[in-house]
Amino acid sequence: MPNIHDNPNRTEWTNKIAALKTVAEGHAFLTNFRAQHVSVFRTDFSLELDWLWIENKIEEKVALLKHAEFNDAQFLNNCTCGRNAQQVANEALAKMEACTNMYEAERIHIEFRLACKPPIMPVNVFLDTDRQLGTKLMELRNTDYYALPLEELRKVRGVRVVTLQ
Amino acid sequence: MAISTATKAATDALAVNRAPVSVGAQEVHRWMQSFTWDFDKNRTKYSTKYKMANDTKEQFKLIAKEYARMESVKDERQFGSLQDVLTRVDAANRVHPKWNESMKVISNFLEVGEYNAIAATGMLWDSATAPEQKNGYLGQVLDEIRHTNQCGYINYYFAKQGQDAAGHNDARRTRAIGPLWKGMKRVFSDGFISGDAVECSINLQLVGEACFTNPLIVAVTEWASANGDEMTPTVFLSIETDELRHMANGYQTVVSIANDEAASKYLNTDLNNAFWTQQKYFTPVLGMMFEYGSHFKVEPWVKTWNRWVYEDWGGIWIGRLGKYGVESPASLRDAKKDAYWAHHDLFLIAYALWPTGFFRLTLPTAEEAEWYEANYPGWYDMYGKVYEEWRARGCEDPDSGFLPLQWFIENNHPIYIDRVSQVPFCPSYCKGASTLRVLEFNGKKHSFSDPWGERMWLSEPERYECQNIFEQYEGRELSEVIAEGHGLRSDGKTLISQPHTNKNGRLWTLDDIKKIGCVFSDPLKAL
Repeated sequence: MPNIHDNPNRTEWTNKIAALKTVAEGHAFLTNFRAQHVSVFRTDFSLELDWLWIENKIEEKVALLKHAEFNDAQFLNNCTCGRNAQQVANEALAKMEACTNMYEAERIHIEFRLACKPPIMPVNVFLDTDRQLGTKLMELRNTDYYALPLEELRKVRGVRVVTLQ
Repeated sequence: MAISTATKAATDALAVNRAPVSVGAQEVHRWMQSFTWDFDKNRTKYSTKYKMANDTKEQFKLIAKEYARMESVKDERQFGSLQDVLTRVDAANRVHPKWNESMKVISNFLEVGEYNAIAATGMLWDSATAPEQKNGYLGQVLDEIRHTNQCGYINYYFAKQGQDAAGHNDARRTRAIGPLWKGMKRVFSDGFISGDAVECSINLQLVGEACFTNPLIVAVTEWASANGDEMTPTVFLSIETDELRHMANGYQTVVSIANDEAASKYLNTDLNNAFWTQQKYFTPVLGMMFEYGSHFKVEPWVKTWNRWVYEDWGGIWIGRLGKYGVESPASLRDAKKDAYWAHHDLFLIAYALWPTGFFRLTLPTAEEAEWYEANYPGWYDMYGKVYEEWRARGCEDPDSGFLPLQWFIENNHPIYIDRVSQVPFCPSYCKGASTLRVLEFNGKKHSFSDPWGERMWLSEPERYECQNIFEQYEGRELSEVIAEGHGLRSDGKTLISQPHTNKNGRLWTLDDIKKIGCVFSDPLKAL
């Protein structure tokens, strides 16, 4: 029986990753994969035991493609989509700045990570942006933390109660 | 002999202004303060809701040279005792076998905590802006490196000098299958180094160190001594002498944010979440290690817990922080209920899942059963009877074909794992406060055992994505999982973990497990 570290899912995705030849291909492949299989908002659980490993392998490949294609200036300043990294970051920061709702802020932060987590965005820009987004999110989340009773909180989060004993 | 005018002039000058022959530590510290390092505008790499004040003081005022001198003396004493007298008297072989097994868990897990504390205090160094406060955190970074080495060393010592090295020597390789590992990583790793930097300090210094190191590092030395272990007090008390500095750092963290308006909005919430996070694991696990992992008992865990956690920490220590607006956590009362029964509930499950561990467990003897019943009235009817049944069915004997996990299945008592704490619980067979609550989000089910954890998950679900062993190994046969998860001794067939510590008893092998045909199933799928 295939074990958890060596199974057909991982083999299938390893082959797909090996076929990536350009940064543009890698960028599209990684962002699509993250949108479908990564984050708490995912609805596809078919890769439940393998998504983290596969994401890591795609990131590894995109980083190598980036190393081969990008010059030094691009490497420090551009996302793999070709856009200026600081501009992309500023857009996310502006959205967060205007946000006053914790659930919207959560979306902004998680979507920023899905769209920009390195190697898509250079780490020098990503980490500081992530820090600022995280700070604002935590401020919104922790204000009046106990204001809603659990029953209300479940509704707002949109969960289905399977059982309460 | 005549002296030159120049020499005389120098001699006269020295008589008036003598060159220093020694410098007091406090004098050096004052001198260091005159450096106007400007960290005020330094931006940290880490997110935090709080702003730490730039003029925060540090109580220990310890400079690096003094620190190094002090720690080297402590190391000399500790390693000298271990390598000389304790080796000559064969101390590691005088430890009670049950306690030898407990130390596999305690020292390996504490090593993980100390290792993560290096990163946590490094993060705090980065986040603080006051030079003195940074100096305090720096001292702690060095301490945590020392403690990581000490915990590693005590395992090495037990493995080299003592009895049954398996588990002391390479516990970490079983981390994917052992049900205690993930909860431990939740408190010792995630709690210390992820999220708000100040919240991490609250987890590490204000709760982990000020609250739980007393039972963990001080009480453990009493239990160790009572069970013939002279190595653990030698090392752990040396660790504990550094913990005072860490508690002081936690205090100063709170002082540094006391005037920040963020503190009035967030601090008590962060403290409550940190306390619940830490206690949810430590309360049952420490109680289980002390009481079920020893032969000679010191005192009931509930008394230790009440003294150190409830009275000393929740009352006195937090009381001292009251002037800064800090309140005792609202969850303290619920935690107090857990302190009575939760470790008994956990041992029942831990024994049932013994093949997935990296240490040997032992059922209570008749003498121990009397002690439990005397200190926890009602223990026998709930747990004692079950252990008698398991023993009668041959749970210790590999030829019996009986794993206690089967008892839970036969009696329809499913074991769940709390998504937030990763601690296993059996809601239909427990005396602790665990209640089953299962929520579905985007098509995935999550189980919780208390309202505090449920709220933490509802507030930030992306923080608690860790899969549990039932989700990971659904449909897989137990012996395959053990082999894949490196749960075997060096012969490649005998399990590291065993359901007894009898030196003459046969050890279970992979074949013994295989013939039982136990298959993992996820209880959430049945709901």
